[in-house]
Amino acid sequence: MSSEELILSQAQELRRGTVVLACLALLREPQYGYALLETLNDAGVTVDGNTLYPLLRRLEKQGLLTSEWNTDESRPRKFYRVSPQGAEVRDGLVREWNDLVASISQLTKEN
Amino acid sequence: MTPLTERYVQEVVRRIPAGQRDDIAEELRTTIADTIEGRGAAEREVLTEMGDPLRLAACYSGRPLALIGSGLYPAYMRLLKLLLWTVLPLITAVSVVLDVLDDNDAGSAIGTGIGTALVVGAQMFAWLTVVFALIDRIPQRAAVDTWTPDDLPELREPDKGGLAAGLSVAWNVLLIGLIVWQHVAEPFRTDSGERAQVLDPALWSGWIWPVLAGLAGLVAIEVVWIGTRRWTFPLVAGYVGATAVFALPLAWIVYQKEFFSSAFLADVTVLDSFYTVAALGVLAVSAGNVIKALRDARG
Repeated sequence: MSSEELILSQAQELRRGTVVLACLALLREPQYGYALLETLNDAGVTVDGNTLYPLLRRLEKQGLLTSEWNTDESRPRKFYRVSPQGAEVRDGLVREWNDLVASISQLTKEN
Repeated sequence: MTPLTERYVQEVVRRIPAGQRDDIAEELRTTIADTIEGRGAAEREVLTEMGDPLRLAACYSGRPLALIGSGLYPAYMRLLKLLLWTVLPLITAVSVVLDVLDDNDAGSAIGTGIGTALVVGAQMFAWLTVVFALIDRIPQRAAVDTWTPDDLPELREPDKGGLAAGLSVAWNVLLIGLIVWQHVAEPFRTDSGERAQVLDPALWSGWIWPVLAGLAGLVAIEVVWIGTRRWTFPLVAGYVGATAVFALPLAWIVYQKEFFSSAFLADVTVLDSFYTVAALGVLAVSAGNVIKALRDARG
């Protein structure tokens, strides 16, 4: 495997862990599955539909998201948004993220 | 809603708890339609990307996609090894001994041995797998197989190879015993009810003696090794010599098809390929043993 390929696959591992945080951050505003997927991919958080849609369900089950069917448009769509508990978890994760960024940049500076 | 999408959706939701089925089905349908519309992609392509319905359903329901998950796998492997390497040989040996006592017939005893090993082995494997797959699907399983350092096996250094050498001695003694027993007891019964030897009686005025001598030599050398645990030069030379004295004539007899008695061959069909494979097998196993001994002696 070349260095580029290794970087690519390792970077994917890094990004994978950020999907939950990115969802909790984006879903301040209610959003439906496909639109959320597009927004995430545009933001560089690559995730497949078959991972994201079950993940949204799981976060809802854990009480971090709430959902509502919107039947105003041509297709009925399920909109998700962050619950108060989800907001709390998001803030905690953002703190973790910032700590991580700080300590990693500290580590990489020394080398 | 096109039939292809509908078939996909049904294939996913029928594996999901009934309570969530309609909701997930509805969301999947719109999501697939949104994706087709949003990307201008073909339905087929979008469904291919969503992947195997079974996998997606497992994601939704949180069910494991493995028969035996990583939590139980170590316990499963330990138990399987114990059953196949300890319990199965015991059961097979007991069934062979019982058969010999019952019939005094080598062919039937060998058949019983092979049959028991295959059937009981397959049963052990199947039932153990079924039981573990079931345990893996019971939600509460925190107490199963929590590993502690106490579970570590003792270091084998002091007994390095001792068990293997012991088994090898037992095996060689068993071979000598079987060869002599089938000569003395004439355990094979022909269709006409007469007793006969399994191996060609003509061997007793020729090639069987180096085979027996080689086996006896191997037993003696392995016993010495178990006692001293050191491969000295004479011991290795003796081991190589004894292996050659045993294996070369045996492979030759088998290859020349002078192995079985005519009475045995009259009732039992032995394929030509058996002789070639068996002769090569004897040579390969013996060569492997010699190489291992040489390596042990150096290391």
